[in-house]
Amino acid sequence: MTNHWRDIKNADLIMINGGNPAEAHPVGFRWFMRAKTERGAKIIHVDPRFTRTTAVADIHLRIRTGTDAAYFGGLINYVLQNKLFHEEYVRKYTNAAFVVDKTYSFKDGMFNGFDSEKGAYDPKLWTYEKGADGFAKLDINHPRSVLSLMRKHYSRYTPEMVSRITGIPRDQFLQVAKLVGEMGRPDKVMTQVYAVGLTHHTTGSQMIRAGAVLQLLLGNIGRPGGGMNAERGHANIQGNTDNAISWEILPGYLKVPAPGQRTIADYVDESASKQAHPNALNFFGSNYGKFMVSLLKTWFGDKARKDNEFAFNHLPKPAGNSSWISIFDQALQGKMEGVMLSGMTAASIGPDANQVHKALANLKWLVVMDSFPTTSSEFWHAPGADPSQIQTEVFVLPATHWIEKDGSFTNSGRWLQWKDQVLPPEGESRHDHWMLSDLFLRVRKLYEREGGKFPDPVMDLTFDYGDPAKPTLDEIAREVNGKDLKTGKQMESFKDLRDDGSTTSGNWIYVGSYTDEGNMMKRRNGVQDPEKNDPTGMGFYPEWAFSWPANRRVLYNRASADPAGKPWDPKRAGIRWDAAQKMWVGDVPDYLPDADPADPKSPLPFIMTGEGTGRLFSNGLADGPFPEHYEPVESPIENPLHPKVSISPGTFLYDKAAGRPNRFGTVDEFPYVATSYRLTEHEHYITQHVEHLVRLQPEAFVEVPAELAREKGIETGDKVRVWSKRGKLEVKALVTKRLGALTIDGKKVFQIGIPIHWGYVGVKTGDHWLANALTPFVGDATVRTPEFKAFLVNMEKM
Amino acid sequence: MTLLAASEHFAGSPHWTWYILFYFFLAGLAGGAYFLATLLRYWGTPGDEPVARLGFYVPFPATIIGLLLLTLDLKQPLRFWHMLFNTTPDQFGLNFNSRTPMSVGVWALLVASIFSFVVFVDTLVRDGRIRNRPARRLAALLDGTVGLVWNVIGTILYLFIAGYTGVLIAVSNQPIWSDSWALGGLFLASGLAGSAALLLVLSHYRPGAEFSRGVLERSEHIFTALELLLVVVVVVTLIDDGAVDDAFGFPWILLWLVALVGMLPGLRGLAGDRVRVTRRGAVAAVERAPAWVVAPSLVLVGVLALRAAVIFSAQ
Amino acid sequence: MAEAKLKIDPGKSYGFFTDTSVCIGCKACEVACKEWNQLPSKPEGFLGDSLDNTGTLDGQTWRHVKFIDNVPDETLGVGDGKAFLLMSDVCKHCQHASCMDVCPTGAIVRTEFDTVFIQSSVCNGCRNCIAACPYDVIDIDPDKDVARKCTLCYDRLQGGMEPACAKACPTDSIQFGPLDELHRRADERLATLHSQGIKEANLYGRDDKVYGGLNAFFLLMDKPEAYKLPNAKNAVLPQRNNLGGYVGVLGTAVLGLLGAVIALRNRGVRPEPPEEPTVEERP
Ligand SMILES: Nc1nc2c(c(=O)[nH]1)N[C@H]1C(S)=C(S)[C@@H](COP(=O)(O)OP(=O)(O)OC[C@H]3O[C@@H](n4cnc5c(=O)[nH]c(N)nc54)[C@H](O)[C@@H]3O)O[C@H]1N2
Ligand SMILES: Nc1nc2c(c(=O)[nH]1)N[C@H]1C(S)=C(S)[C@@H](COP(=O)(O)OP(=O)(O)OC[C@H]3O[C@@H](n4cnc5c(=O)[nH]c(N)nc54)[C@H](O)[C@@H]3O)O[C@H]1N2
Ligand code: SF4
Ligand code: SF4
Ligand code: SF4
Ligand code: SF4
Ligand code: SF4
Ligand SMILES: [Mo]
Repeated sequence: MTNHWRDIKNADLIMINGGNPAEAHPVGFRWFMRAKTERGAKIIHVDPRFTRTTAVADIHLRIRTGTDAAYFGGLINYVLQNKLFHEEYVRKYTNAAFVVDKTYSFKDGMFNGFDSEKGAYDPKLWTYEKGADGFAKLDINHPRSVLSLMRKHYSRYTPEMVSRITGIPRDQFLQVAKLVGEMGRPDKVMTQVYAVGLTHHTTGSQMIRAGAVLQLLLGNIGRPGGGMNAERGHANIQGNTDNAISWEILPGYLKVPAPGQRTIADYVDESASKQAHPNALNFFGSNYGKFMVSLLKTWFGDKARKDNEFAFNHLPKPAGNSSWISIFDQALQGKMEGVMLSGMTAASIGPDANQVHKALANLKWLVVMDSFPTTSSEFWHAPGADPSQIQTEVFVLPATHWIEKDGSFTNSGRWLQWKDQVLPPEGESRHDHWMLSDLFLRVRKLYEREGGKFPDPVMDLTFDYGDPAKPTLDEIAREVNGKDLKTGKQMESFKDLRDDGSTTSGNWIYVGSYTDEGNMMKRRNGVQDPEKNDPTGMGFYPEWAFSWPANRRVLYNRASADPAGKPWDPKRAGIRWDAAQKMWVGDVPDYLPDADPADPKSPLPFIMTGEGTGRLFSNGLADGPFPEHYEPVESPIENPLHPKVSISPGTFLYDKAAGRPNRFGTVDEFPYVATSYRLTEHEHYITQHVEHLVRLQPEAFVEVPAELAREKGIETGDKVRVWSKRGKLEVKALVTKRLGALTIDGKKVFQIGIPIHWGYVGVKTGDHWLANALTPFVGDATVRTPEFKAFLVNMEKM
Repeated sequence: MTLLAASEHFAGSPHWTWYILFYFFLAGLAGGAYFLATLLRYWGTPGDEPVARLGFYVPFPATIIGLLLLTLDLKQPLRFWHMLFNTTPDQFGLNFNSRTPMSVGVWALLVASIFSFVVFVDTLVRDGRIRNRPARRLAALLDGTVGLVWNVIGTILYLFIAGYTGVLIAVSNQPIWSDSWALGGLFLASGLAGSAALLLVLSHYRPGAEFSRGVLERSEHIFTALELLLVVVVVVTLIDDGAVDDAFGFPWILLWLVALVGMLPGLRGLAGDRVRVTRRGAVAAVERAPAWVVAPSLVLVGVLALRAAVIFSAQ
Repeated sequence: MAEAKLKIDPGKSYGFFTDTSVCIGCKACEVACKEWNQLPSKPEGFLGDSLDNTGTLDGQTWRHVKFIDNVPDETLGVGDGKAFLLMSDVCKHCQHASCMDVCPTGAIVRTEFDTVFIQSSVCNGCRNCIAACPYDVIDIDPDKDVARKCTLCYDRLQGGMEPACAKACPTDSIQFGPLDELHRRADERLATLHSQGIKEANLYGRDDKVYGGLNAFFLLMDKPEAYKLPNAKNAVLPQRNNLGGYVGVLGTAVLGLLGAVIALRNRGVRPEPPEEPTVEERP
């Protein structure tokens, strides 16, 4: 989230796309309801289904799954055409005025720079025309200014086109557009909330970017009550991503080194953004090296020296893709010997579960670290499996559950909140970090005894804990914060990190979370005394836990004030310039704390980017500089915008590339659109062990639109067979009007809902079905998140 | 016409089933039997005494079995006495709650059982089945006015018991039950008809009892008419509350039919009575002896079915 | 709102204001109640009454979230909790409590917090209260064989804690507090909704029109009947049938007596009375 949960209460309009917060984030949803009850905020829920969120929303737009880019494109067009955008914000705070390089083109669904051999774009080619000073040329009226190109690009997204693609009736779209358009006024603000309803698509990243572009146009980024807010998954999934659970990043969103980079300088040159405007601070780009060196110092300590590039070359520089699907693709190809799963059950969660089961059976060994039996630890004797045919050796390492350990959770609002151990560990279970330490120490011993090809990264790793086999999370948290090696003091701020090897930090954005004053994540100065603990009244509560970065509660908050430093909406100030004190006051400023706005040299508001502005045009994603609508890989129609380039050109087709037979279906065989999702009552697969919750939602079912059910003579409780090209479910039907028919490109299209929560492990045994038996083995062009949310199925009554 | 406004109920069912059904049945018979016995002894002819005695035998065992059924129906049978004694800490004492027929009824049963026990013993003594002194003393006491008073009070108590069962279920928020105030009356009327039928059957087994069959038959017929009248009242009150569909829907309609069939002999008899009274009187009835068992049995089954229809249709 | 610190004093009236306009049907209340009161969840099949598989309140389910799916085909302006009615149901802690009226053992009492409480040690399982409760709240707990229902967390109140369900409710749909304070909040909320043009909103049990007022009262987004709640006209006490019932019995008894007298009078032809055996004559 750019903002945080509590801040949602400050919004005038809450747009929820691709999220079902009342069900998936019920506690956070409290703030949506506060906005509604206390300020009469309106809620728009854009979702294929009418859900428990819709129940308390003001407007529901029933959208065809996978088409949010078209919806946002239509809103962008509406806002541009009707001049409803926040003019001054757009001009000064975004890259609208930047002139794009003349190589840019967009024709028939293709941007420039596509390498058809690699099947991928080269995003480096999406850049600005440079002026004489080496910076980007600025001219908002230039035909190639970002704004001009955008106008042209989105002019195709007329209300009629939006309706054709998304199925949202034109008049409903226009009513919502009118509401949204009002949010371009400085005294209004809209928050945009999303979750995996946007990410689980081959075009997921672009849908989210489209939402962000709209928010920039409306001047809603950086403002309390505004922002682009991702509701994250598991309690600590934000902490996971911050700390590099993803394959393409290191802690703090530093890029994973790439082949060919030999020095820190190479690495920074290829990874960091470049200053594109004289007044751009480019804070991230210009400090990239410092963050990286401090990270290497944390990992390799004295072995990271200036003369060995701070052990930069200890790090792997992978050429290939290591995303989730790629791992199991490799296993299918027999290129994977073993897999360790920790706190995640591959057998249930991945797309095309039948194929994933095959991949698991193709391993020599599988280690499952978990507190419970999972579908992965039991896959070899799942219903229908033949154990004698599965040679994979499965090891189960009983792990303590998170409730049995202390440590921090980072929530969607970027708050690092320390928690205590609630229950003592059960049985022989051990902490994950102890198991991993033990494993590491044993591997190191093997290297010590037997040597190896490249022992250095293992031998040189610091392991500075009281008991190296049993590090405490407190020790690890201090280490992640980092320290000044000259003074021995804990670091207070990442701006003090250096690239000379005299500072450490395991994650630059977490600096300040554990200082010499103590563990900031434990702070709990909250609602017990709102006057003292929330001095601005905006709900920042600066002494509650720690919010990365730098305890800042709203990212990009310089943009909440006008160029002179006055809040756009004085009633909802983020920060303001206090001329008397010569300081920015309010939230922790996302800016130089004493940069006088009257000074013409004062930096542009978005200090993290090379442009110094928000990016309407960007080369950050692999599949285009402007978000464009592409159809899901399995879609009921050809893309009305460019039928020849129906799906995103950057999509990587695993089965095809590996020479496996096609596993995608077409609309003649599979006439219904399906989407998969969560129910409040369950947490994925694990709550199948919890009796209270199993009682609330006892068995697998699919939601069937009432109209379609009538056609097929299906009633609630009847068994139906739902199948895709890849697999099937035979489960009960829940017939409901909450799912309705859509008119897509002139055709009537039904959507079927597939809750994901069942497997073959838990309180109830017997017939069990995996939702992912249906889903396609394909992901987003940039991050490879699987397309769980849009695929084709057929259905019949059994 | 009714005391209530139309109601829509969302109450849950108490799952009062077989125990309660038979208890209600027995309560009705006990009430009717005590009533008829008292009438026959004190306002009948001496020839009615055998049947009166038969009648006095009925209430006590019916009450005991009924109490047993009531107790067994409790989820905590060992706590039956909580109906009588409050066990709330700091509030120990007797329990009586006039707002709930269940509490009133339990006390009534308890007191009534003393009356029926005494007449039961008295009748045994009169029949010479027990001869010990205390029992005979007791019986002697009940000769004359004391007996009359005793049995009138007993009769009132037992009529109450036959009827309160209907009030008990009416004092609820169950559909049907609480939609009519006439169930108490209906249960009493059907109890009366049923007990007449019961005595008719029993008269078969006691020499001399055949003397009263005519009276019994006529009572049965009249009570059946009364019962029918109350069924009509109930239906009218239910119509008023829109509960008729529920009460007479399938499968309950079958039970109602049985109940109705049970009333048929009585009603047909009522029509025939006029003929008989003017021509051959009760003798005619004597001649149709085999029907004596069949018809009254039918009546008894009808009494049971009626209660079943009321009890089950609401739940 | 719910963040203010709570002081719970015996002698004052407490209850719930349940604002269904912000209920999200998450069932946290249902589970919190089960957890705190250690009530089991026995496996049941798929009911599929919309998203509800619990069905009803019973002896082991003292909170139950109702789902009333009235979702229309059009999609605009359907929200505000008007189309997909979600409501967390519970014992209403009626001022005129039908259950208490009919309990023959005195097991049901009003506590020092003005709530209606069943003493498990006193209840004998007669089930009269089940027949009486107009809200289908009470049932027998099959593991304890006594009637059970929401205690309004009597034990927690005694310990100065708000009820578990209210504590767990993420949206403050369930608000616990002193009744006067809750009335004030409810009136405010209703006024706001009305001023937003949501005319359907109404308070149920806030005043004495149903059962003399409900300590657990509701803000509803449709007529009470839509939630299967008796409206003011239908909110009647079991007691209403006491008088009529007894009078009916009396009337019938009188008619019965009359009938019997007629039967005795017109005896028609009488056979000779047999010799009456006396006590002494019997062998
Ligand atoms: N109760 C519960 N809560 C959870 C979890 C859980 O398992 N159970 N899991 C947690 C995790 S890990 C995550 S990632 C989050 C996920 O949180 P959410 O993203 O909110 O969860 P989902 O139910 O997967 O999907 C949300 C909604 O997206 C809609 N949707 C599908 N496709 C599209 C589309 O193309 N466009 C739009 N606009 N909407 C679409 C679906 O109908 C669904 O209602 O939830 C977290 N919270
Ligand atoms: N079709 C379809 N598929 C999906 C999705 C979808 O929407 N549709 N959603 C996807 C998403 S967003 C997600 S996040 C995944 C979720 O998939 P998973 O993360 O696999 O689901 P959970 O059941 O939450 O599994 C968490 C596991 O962690 C264990 N655990 C808890 N604490 C600890 C601990 O401290 N240590 C260890 N070692 N284990 C612990 C639990 O016992 C549990 O088994 O599913 C994905 N799959
Ligand atoms: S399960 Fe936990 S993390 Fe998820 S909404 Fe509930 S309280 Fe928050
Ligand atoms: S709702 Fe039912 S159980 Fe609760 S107090 Fe009222 S009558 Fe009694
Ligand atoms: S079941 Fe228990 S609480 Fe209910 S009326 Fe009977 S004794 Fe009272
Ligand atoms: S008040 Fe307590 S007992 Fe009543 S529903 Fe809430 S949690 Fe359950
Ligand atoms: S916890 Fe609150 S929001 Fe959730 S179902 Fe219960 S009352 Fe509704
Ligand atoms: Mo997730």
